[in-house]
Amino acid sequence: MNSVRVILKNRISSVVSTRCYATTKKKIPDPDEEESLPIFQYPVSKSSDRRMYVWGLAETGALGIHIPRGKKGRKQYRRDFTHCWYPMRSTFAERFDIAEVAAGYGFTVAAIKTDGQHKVFGTGINTDSQIGYHAPRAGHPLELLLSPAPIYLPYKSLETKVIGLSAGRAHTAVLTDNEGVFTLGNNAYGQCGRKINSNEEYKGSMVSHNIKKLNKEKLVDVCCGQDHTLFLTEGGKVYSCGWGADGQTGLGTFENQAYPAPVQGDITSEKIVKVASTGDCVLALNDQGELFGWGNSEYGQVPMKNPSQQVNMSYALLELTKGLGKITDIAAGGSFCLIVNEAGDAFVWGYGLLGLGPNVQTCPKPKQIPPALFGRNEFNPNCSVKKVACGIGHLAAITNNGDLYMWGRNRQGCLGLGHLKDQYFPLKVAIGAHVLKVSCSVDHSVAVCKPFV
Amino acid sequence: MVQFKHAASAYKSLNGLICVYKPPCVPVKQVQHIIKTNLCRDLNALPVRPREQRIEIEGATNEPMIVKLVPNYADDPLVCGPRYIHEDIRCSWATHLGLFSSGVLLLGINEGTRLTYKINMGRPTRAFKVHGQLGKATDTYFWNGKTVERSTYHHITREKIDSVVAHIQASHQKTMFEMSGLHMESQTTYELAAQGLIRPASSKLPVIYGIKCVDFKPPNFTLEIQSVNEYEKYLWTLVHDIGVQLRSTAHCIGVNCIRQGKFDLELALLRKHWQLEYIADNMNQCSQLLEENEHLLQPESAVLTA
Repeated sequence: MNSVRVILKNRISSVVSTRCYATTKKKIPDPDEEESLPIFQYPVSKSSDRRMYVWGLAETGALGIHIPRGKKGRKQYRRDFTHCWYPMRSTFAERFDIAEVAAGYGFTVAAIKTDGQHKVFGTGINTDSQIGYHAPRAGHPLELLLSPAPIYLPYKSLETKVIGLSAGRAHTAVLTDNEGVFTLGNNAYGQCGRKINSNEEYKGSMVSHNIKKLNKEKLVDVCCGQDHTLFLTEGGKVYSCGWGADGQTGLGTFENQAYPAPVQGDITSEKIVKVASTGDCVLALNDQGELFGWGNSEYGQVPMKNPSQQVNMSYALLELTKGLGKITDIAAGGSFCLIVNEAGDAFVWGYGLLGLGPNVQTCPKPKQIPPALFGRNEFNPNCSVKKVACGIGHLAAITNNGDLYMWGRNRQGCLGLGHLKDQYFPLKVAIGAHVLKVSCSVDHSVAVCKPFV
Repeated sequence: MVQFKHAASAYKSLNGLICVYKPPCVPVKQVQHIIKTNLCRDLNALPVRPREQRIEIEGATNEPMIVKLVPNYADDPLVCGPRYIHEDIRCSWATHLGLFSSGVLLLGINEGTRLTYKINMGRPTRAFKVHGQLGKATDTYFWNGKTVERSTYHHITREKIDSVVAHIQASHQKTMFEMSGLHMESQTTYELAAQGLIRPASSKLPVIYGIKCVDFKPPNFTLEIQSVNEYEKYLWTLVHDIGVQLRSTAHCIGVNCIRQGKFDLELALLRKHWQLEYIADNMNQCSQLLEENEHLLQPESAVLTA
């Protein structure tokens, strides 16, 4: 009995000591306790660090991402990871220093900064050997790669750097600083810039083609359309090869072109600084900020005096871009074009979900997308668009603050907005880093970013 | 300055909105209490209603009776208390301001309480100056909390804060569309979005329209934030989050509301001026401002105006 009483007494005293007051008593922190805490130093990224974000259809392996299954299952990875709804950081880019990245139709290629043999990696669909020959079992080449694998290219010197990448429907072009362009993949229309062999088997092919120089000029840029390739030389000349049924080679014919040939028309006397093409329409920009175009014009992308749907020679689009000022960046999608002028305003024309609301389906003349949609408002008046990119049905713009805005057809979630609904005006994509470059293809998108801190 | 001759006329004119400067560490309830007390004090100091007279009929009932007016002591202020008491004055706030925040606070007096309701439904933006300090994280996210972590901050530059803050602002734009209650695939949404900022339909989730670093002297920094539906604790967590994103830690050391709608610090009455004349004067200024900006009370569309 005695012991019980003691316990009760203790309990009462403890209740009194931890009494709850009706008003919260202000706790004054003990300064000594604060001094005893350790000072953490969190890791900070280098200025050269790059992150890669990927989103869209993951089923093809184009994102190079697996979701681990956990310890329970026998298989290491889940196979039901089909879509990546929001931008996801690619682990590949954490292991290597990313230099360039390009998204093709269901595959992605990425170049890394290295002095080794493996400079370019590819993942995704490989039905035409567009990301090289990969055969774990001899004689059974893989048609689908779920994680990035190195692409073998016969470099002369290992010091060569990859400075450009571009990917089309089923071919890839790798631009190096000293050794020209390497092309690999499907050559059915001559898009690899070599002789068309109608009996060639592209699956499991080990062929890669090297275009060192064109007309003794060094190559500075390469751009792959759907089934054609455009080469830009140091002197600002454009060469093209590949499929020409819509005039996208710009050679004055509608024939396929096997060897790169100079584009005819208005651009022959100009110094071109950028070419853009995703589908069958091509835009080019010269050093004066003037626009040129050729290729498919079914939706009025390259409007001509005589209404023709195929433009097989380059034409200056001065009439079209009148009053827009100097143009700084261009992008051509499947059925529309997107340009940015010096003031940072984005203009769009063509057919599709242009970003001008659900009621506007076609737009024959460049129309400005309201800058308020890119975040220019009274609180942030300096916001402007710096770079643009187009996929087949979706569009993207990067602002001066490094924010990525996307809109258009949301095929397989390629807008990264978390759903499959189409987006009728630019909306910011949730990426927690400064976006430097975005590459869009048909059903997935890839962005190269710089960390904030 | 308005000069009142009678308490009754002064009381009648006390119907409207006033804008006061709330000091930190004084709750809004106490601000209301002080204002009510001061108003009662000043009203009672003016010539108030005279004491009522009482009719007294005296004398025998079978004779002519005498009718007298005598002072009614039941109506004497010394008996029934002062003429104006707290219950005579209604006072409500438009948007709450937390205990540790200071700055512009809109209060409705008497009939002005309806105005505060309307202003709150109109969801005007509020501008804040939020002061933060790097290198220390506390459990309450405010300076008065217990320190839970310390970290280095020498790697943080103005550019890094700017980029993080710009990113936060752009991300909130998306929240803005989600909160606007509009259908994302409609033409109406597009037209509203093309005009600029949209006010949220709900009063629950905070939306930030503008955020900018206006001062950076390590370890201290100051953010200027324009937002709707925010509350004190939310602004503290925002500072904490910025600290985490900057690969360091941060806590808030002060929140100051510098503007609500069109009401700014210039208009706000300091504590020493919470007196009848100043309040009546301020009420006139506020009503003038409301007349000039009718959209503050009755917004016509979801587009953000102030």
